[in-house]
Amino acid sequence: MSDSQTVIEAEQIKHAYTPGRYALNGLSFSVQRGEVFGLLGRNGAGKSTLIKVMTTLLRPSEGSLRILGLNPAREGRRIRSRIGVVQQSESFDFTSVEGNFDIYGVLWGLPAEERIRRRNDLIARFGLEDLRRRRSFDLSGGQKRRVQVAREFMHDMEILFLDEPTVGLDVIMRRTLLDSIRAEVRRGLTVVFTTHNLEEADYLCDRIAVVDQGRLLALETLENLKRLYGGRKTIDLTVSGPHDAAFYETLRARLGGESTVTVSGRSAVIMAADPKATLAVILALAQERGVGLDWLNVRQNTLEDVFLKSVGHEGESIGST
Amino acid sequence: MALPNLLRLIYRNVRVNTDPGSLIILVGLPAMYLIFFGFGFQSLAGGLGSGTYIDFLTPGIMSFQAVMAGTVGGSMLWADRRYGMLAQLLVGPFTRLQYLLGIMFTSVLFALGGAAVMMAMAFVLVQVSAVSAVGILVMFATITLGAIFFGSLMLLIAALVKSNNAYNSVQILVIFVVNFASTVFYPLSSSLPAALRYLFLINPLTYIADAVRGAYTGTLTATDGIQVAILAVETAVVLFLATRAYLRSDVSLE
Repeated sequence: MSDSQTVIEAEQIKHAYTPGRYALNGLSFSVQRGEVFGLLGRNGAGKSTLIKVMTTLLRPSEGSLRILGLNPAREGRRIRSRIGVVQQSESFDFTSVEGNFDIYGVLWGLPAEERIRRRNDLIARFGLEDLRRRRSFDLSGGQKRRVQVAREFMHDMEILFLDEPTVGLDVIMRRTLLDSIRAEVRRGLTVVFTTHNLEEADYLCDRIAVVDQGRLLALETLENLKRLYGGRKTIDLTVSGPHDAAFYETLRARLGGESTVTVSGRSAVIMAADPKATLAVILALAQERGVGLDWLNVRQNTLEDVFLKSVGHEGESIGST
Repeated sequence: MALPNLLRLIYRNVRVNTDPGSLIILVGLPAMYLIFFGFGFQSLAGGLGSGTYIDFLTPGIMSFQAVMAGTVGGSMLWADRRYGMLAQLLVGPFTRLQYLLGIMFTSVLFALGGAAVMMAMAFVLVQVSAVSAVGILVMFATITLGAIFFGSLMLLIAALVKSNNAYNSVQILVIFVVNFASTVFYPLSSSLPAALRYLFLINPLTYIADAVRGAYTGTLTATDGIQVAILAVETAVVLFLATRAYLRSDVSLE
């Protein structure tokens, strides 16, 4: 049910670039005002397509979508005048950094005085003073990204869509950017944010949707996602020997459905409901098969484990809202 | 006061495309044609009535501005696609049609500006007699139509062609053929091979050059009027095709 606090409402959204091959395959979710909503997924999972659909660049092939209570198919321009978008690919005019801010301000209809004020404020806030007279295309990848994100704040908006905004940024600038976004969120901005960086999703997002192959595998608050595996711990294991695959197959069978085993070569990440019992099974099996243990580590679950669990088991949903 | 969307887009297009390099190509190249060809072929050119070759060439080069501005329009779309600004503008408060019209009007502006510079140069170089107000109006109206025609043509090509190299090659070919198979540099003569003569006759730049020349020299004829009418129809068709190709292509997704 829609209300004034719901700014995005998607019901069974599908999109196919070619008939029958869905980049988005029945996504349903809603985003609340003032929320930071993270879209987490591997490359090609469908995150950018979803952003394009939500920002009216693409029409969904099926399903219903409302942005700020408006229908993107009929009221795209009204929606676009109330949102900001930082796309994954770079976008610049052939002019200086300062010129790009100016032109963007004009495009968004800012009066001259306000345009100059905002431009100077953003250039200072994002540490771009030294670059302001440089041509945008001469900047490094990280510098370009910084300019692109900062430029978007030239205009007012209710929802900001950020498609992997921190790619190419160094650690300090990444944190500066995330903190700037947090500050805007405190003033009421809603942010939809795609990333495959789990740390920044952890740092910024109120809720996280895990997307894979165009489907929603998980949608929970960060706390809930972790709570789903709250009683569990993660065991990192690397074995040596010629029969790694057979070893892990047997281990999976002996552990049963209570634990999940995600194998990559000689290594595996095991989410264990009962870490002590799981360790006992691992050690017994290793001894029985004569397999050496190169690495064995027990630790608390992280968002990365949740993510691996989600995308490692196609079609298995671990929660929905 | 905030400018309407279309004017904002035109402002942006003009600002982005008026760097020294672009201006040299846009105005400098036709100006060099005027100077080098105008004076260089002066002694060779005969049978042009009472005027000199540079008198003949000036309205031709003014007309050529329509082609140059049209190519700038196509390049704008191509560059915006390639450097991400098209997608960025289309997630802004603009419609696709506004974006297209923004390019079209910018092309017209460049064509008229370039034509005015060429005319001013001709006044300085050869002290031509004053052109009547009606003549100026006809010249600029024809060049506007021409800029929309060639702007649409280049947008159509830019919307259909998939690679930068292909676009550049097609653009160079179009400029060359359209420019030299027209009455910009020489009159349509019976000595031309038949195939070339037909090429002259179907080339819209011939219609533009003839009408602009007629207005420039005060010798407009009914034929010029018919040619402009044909040009108007052709422009409408190409504009329709370009708009359709652009709106249908998922240019924003690249």
